Amino acid sequence: MRPASRDPSGLDLVVDPHRAEASLWRRFRFEDDAACRENLFDRYFGLARLIAGKLFRQRNTRRIERGDFEQFASEGLLHAIDRFDPLLGVPFSAYARRRIAGNIADGVAQMSEIDAQLSHRHRVEQERLRSLGSDDADPLTALSELAAGLAIGLMLEGTGLIGGREAADNQPDPYDSLAWRETQAILLSEIARLPLPEASVVRQHYDHGLPFAQVAEVMGLSRGRISQIHRAALERLRRRLTARP
Amino acid sequence: MTMMCPDAELQDLIQAMQSDDRDELARADRLIAAYGEDGRLHFLRGSLLAAIGRPIEAMASLKRAVALAPDFAIARFQLGFFQLTSGEAADALGTWGPLALLPEGHYLRFFVGGLTHLIRDEFADAIARLNEGIAVNEENPALNRDMQLIIDQAAGLLRDQARGEHAAGEDGATSATSFLLDQLGARGRPN
Repeated sequence: MRPASRDPSGLDLVVDPHRAEASLWRRFRFEDDAACRENLFDRYFGLARLIAGKLFRQRNTRRIERGDFEQFASEGLLHAIDRFDPLLGVPFSAYARRRIAGNIADGVAQMSEIDAQLSHRHRVEQERLRSLGSDDADPLTALSELAAGLAIGLMLEGTGLIGGREAADNQPDPYDSLAWRETQAILLSEIARLPLPEASVVRQHYDHGLPFAQVAEVMGLSRGRISQIHRAALERLRRRLTARP
Repeated sequence: MTMMCPDAELQDLIQAMQSDDRDELARADRLIAAYGEDGRLHFLRGSLLAAIGRPIEAMASLKRAVALAPDFAIARFQLGFFQLTSGEAADALGTWGPLALLPEGHYLRFFVGGLTHLIRDEFADAIARLNEGIAVNEENPALNRDMQLIIDQAAGLLRDQARGEHAAGEDGATSATSFLLDQLGARGRPN
């Protein structure tokens, strides 16, 4: 995770973006390099979110949240990545746009009344809570760990900081104090030091806003495993933050 | 016994490529069907595919060329350069390794040396080696043009860096974000 603005490296001078993307497709499709799938997902996540935002603004229902649109968009993007033939000469963005928009339309149409009533945010929070549930015998310790885990989650959520891109929302909010921002910055530096699967789960879940099921799809792991990795990541962050002077 | 493509047919293909003949890829494929073990044909096919924006197939052809003709130095250099421009720097270095066996003072050795410095962000050394390569390369003027472009960009980057350091020395103002990040740096990261 490199910072957003930095001097170009020597490699940046010579890398051709078209060839670099072709290299990802080649390694993913023909050399079974699963990490390239996640890389492609990250590369086009902005496109999926853009399409979700556009369709959300044009929606004719109030019962479905933006988070649902984004979830359907991410699903559509994953389907597109898995079905795209890079040898056909069609740019992936053109191919993916239709799949993403189609998946959003299908998802919205099929979403049941019950799903819609249980808000997207609520579902994500429930999932996170289940992941953080402690086996600790001492209920007070368990509660304090859970609270710390949830606080870290709240701090990470939607900051746009993790992926190194500009913050998604620059409006001042109740948490926009120096202390809050400073802790967020410390957290960011600690995320950069997480082992790879944990850093990936944190980035996909909090920065991209993906539910665990989708993080599982992106990373090619089971949903239960993602939940475990999420818990391990937050525990590690909590330990490191507590250990800081 | 391996059947190599006769020089006359190879020359015809090169001429077709230079004259922008639309049939050139089909010609290359026909020759490869007849002389499939000739690394030169795969190299030319790879170059063609790279030029028309089909990088996945271009890479496969260049790799095939080098596998068939490991001592074909220009194909090896171009495969490494293709890997480098695809963002696969480690693979490029691996591909270029055997070029160290070329005679001292060979232009490809200078180019490989320069690009290796470039990968490590050692811009001044990269420029020096690439210039040395250009000075002795009379065999492949097109390659000199590519290397000159890299030299110009690296020189621009060096100038920008020098200007940036100068400006940073003069301007003490910092944004809230950089202030925060500086503080973070000053605290030091845990060991």
